[in-house]
Amino acid sequence: MRRTGSAPSRRMPSARAALLVLLLAGGARAEEGLPSLTGEPGDAARGRAIVTSRQRGLCLLCHAGPFPEERFQGDLAPSLAGVGARLTEGQLRLRLVDGRRLNPETIMPSYYRTEGLVRVGPAWQGRPILAAGEIEDVVAFLVTLRD
Amino acid sequence: MARVLINLPRTARRGEVIEIRTLIQHVMETGYRPRADGSVAPRDIITHFACLYNNEEVFAAELAPAIAANPFLSFSLVAAESGILAFTWTGDNGFEQTETRSLTVT
Amino acid sequence: MRRLALALLLLGATAEARESSFALMSPETQAMQREDSANPGMLWVEEGRALWDSAGCAGCHGDVAGMRGVAARYPAFDAAPIDLAGRIAQCQEARQHRTPFPRESEEALALAAVIGLQSRGIPVNPPDDPRLAPALARGEALYRERRGQLDLSCAQCHDANAGRHLAGSPIPEAHPTGYPLYRLEWQGMGSLQRRLRNCMTGVRSEPYAYGAPEYVAIELFLMRRAAGMAVETPAVRP
Repeated sequence: MRRTGSAPSRRMPSARAALLVLLLAGGARAEEGLPSLTGEPGDAARGRAIVTSRQRGLCLLCHAGPFPEERFQGDLAPSLAGVGARLTEGQLRLRLVDGRRLNPETIMPSYYRTEGLVRVGPAWQGRPILAAGEIEDVVAFLVTLRD
Repeated sequence: MARVLINLPRTARRGEVIEIRTLIQHVMETGYRPRADGSVAPRDIITHFACLYNNEEVFAAELAPAIAANPFLSFSLVAAESGILAFTWTGDNGFEQTETRSLTVT
Repeated sequence: MRRLALALLLLGATAEARESSFALMSPETQAMQREDSANPGMLWVEEGRALWDSAGCAGCHGDVAGMRGVAARYPAFDAAPIDLAGRIAQCQEARQHRTPFPRESEEALALAAVIGLQSRGIPVNPPDDPRLAPALARGEALYRERRGQLDLSCAQCHDANAGRHLAGSPIPEAHPTGYPLYRLEWQGMGSLQRRLRNCMTGVRSEPYAYGAPEYVAIELFLMRRAAGMAVETPAVRP
């Protein structure tokens, strides 16, 4: 599915953009995704560092991806290769922030949700896995993964 | 006294090659690991192992921090004569322990 | 599909469908478990043999070989659901009138190891006691409950994704047949509760305290789920 609206889209998709999405998707489910959490563009280099960190992003525990220097990548989730071509920036952001909205059974942690969690360890209470700026950095990086 | 497991036959034929296996319960603190308060835990490892067969050294090993905890050392020797096998482990903080076993060679 | 298989297993289907994490290990690590002369867990077993006499267990129970089959029948019910380590502590306190060895102490692990060894090879078979039913249900609920900042449940990994890889590590089905066991990562011996705490910390959840009834409930559920598989104590794991 092609990206719509101005690139990189930072504002709430207009009704026209949403309609365009619907048309291009051939009438398939129109998933709008989420708008920017900060209104500022993310830093793709910082985003890559977060994605490859097994302490911050945790991504490679489950996902493989185009990171030749990283060994022992997981296979619990789809590869990140090409994800920027398959999903829009808004859709990527939605999956990061709270993938459970799309699939209640997903093993993808909600990187920007703090409600509804059970027995969170004291070191992690009261804050999401990633801060808003970090989410934007990761999204800015993931949209660059086109192949 | 660290707990030790030594595995070797009680008897052997003259000239037979026998296998001896040893296992000793001991931490192997590398000397590089930071503790919760940020200080580095000092090294605490076994540094040397030797086997004397009727007072003659038949096997020895120098151990370094990369060796795992509770080190397992296995080696072979030729059963030449009946006698005593003495196994000695030495290490940091004055650690030293010797175990003896007898071997009957027929 | 996995849920159906699990339900069948809990109804007493064959053990062959399930796999011990022994099968996921390298040949070298498997050899370490198989060889009593190389298995570091045997150091704790030897400690346990000595304690069996010096701590007075032999006075009532005779030779430790009389413990054959005991470990395979835990968790059990005695005033409340109880695991083997809890039973040992209860014996020390109520019958020997002494302070029990603390949970996860070297002595407690050593006694559990030597008693567990007497059940090695025997099929896991916790008692079919109706008084255990509430704990079994609670254990299953805890196993399926998403927890921690990462919001994950045991079932999501160990049922739905067993055999796939978390980073480089294969995810086992999580049958606790070999506890207490020697973990290379720990460079020491540990109980199932220690392992459960590691997992809970891993999903950024607050673990329960050692000895908590939640662990007994989870263990009861896991042992019912593993029923028929052979005890491996003292196991070796990466």
